[in-house]
Amino acid sequence: MKILVVDDSEAFRKVMIELLVKVGFHEVVEARDYNEAVEVFTREKPNICFVDMILPGKSGVELTKALRDIDPKATIVAMSSIINKKMIKDSIEHGAKDFILKPTNEIALSSVLAMWSD
Amino acid sequence: MGLFSRKAKMKRSTGEAGLGITRKYNLLPGRSYVVEEAPPDISFDAFVNIVSTAERDGKKTVGIAVSRQHPDMIRQKYGLEQTPIYWLATRTGEDVIAPTNLGILTNTIIQFIEAHDNSIILLDGIEYLVTNNDFTKVLRAIDQMNDHISQRQAVMVVPADPRAFDSKELALLERNMERIAGKSRPA
Repeated sequence: MKILVVDDSEAFRKVMIELLVKVGFHEVVEARDYNEAVEVFTREKPNICFVDMILPGKSGVELTKALRDIDPKATIVAMSSIINKKMIKDSIEHGAKDFILKPTNEIALSSVLAMWSD
Repeated sequence: MGLFSRKAKMKRSTGEAGLGITRKYNLLPGRSYVVEEAPPDISFDAFVNIVSTAERDGKKTVGIAVSRQHPDMIRQKYGLEQTPIYWLATRTGEDVIAPTNLGILTNTIIQFIEAHDNSIILLDGIEYLVTNNDFTKVLRAIDQMNDHISQRQAVMVVPADPRAFDSKELALLERNMERIAGKSRPA
């Protein structure tokens, strides 16, 4: 099971990767923005993508749409440090399967992974 | 007269609109949980997730939050629109509960539990309550709430900074509540 973490904060990516490893997911790739995420997604073909909704340049919603255009079966989980209902609705309408609040924790992350990993 | 006029009015809640996301926390009805963490990230995430999602049978949970953080800040960050939020503070105002007034705090929560089926309570700021009252009084108030929680099959989440309590106090808190180990950030 390969996981992609997209967030412009290097510190957050590090914490998220540590948490993913802790809950048993060791194969993690990362990207800091839209362009890098598209490139890594195309190359690595991750099973689940955690995408921050607020990215420099193109937004997480635009990235969600782009990743779903590349692979309509892509499993994308939106992330944000605030619950903006419009943003969550937009991301789900554009193909995100779920949402987690940042900073996340082991319980929430495990539930989301249990729900969406095959 | 003055005492009764300060009595916080219980608010009915219709509940939050569903977000269409996964229910991430499986908290059992009739139980209270003490989450050992600072800041209270897991507690808020659990509370917000539960009031914003439906159970498998489609049943909604309605919540009430009491916090040291200002209600406007909580509403803005967590997108809570319908949930009553009370501010634990020494200021006056409609949605403010003084930390020394454990009676009003207990009554407000008990009335909410009794008025709603399937409710969840977030009690954030126990350290502040203990600073303003003695620990035994706070524990007694929580025990009183717990009786109603058990009877009405509600759920209560109480974040507690483990650095603010000694081991005996933590053991007493956990006596009638289930413990969830969180993560305390170094100061």
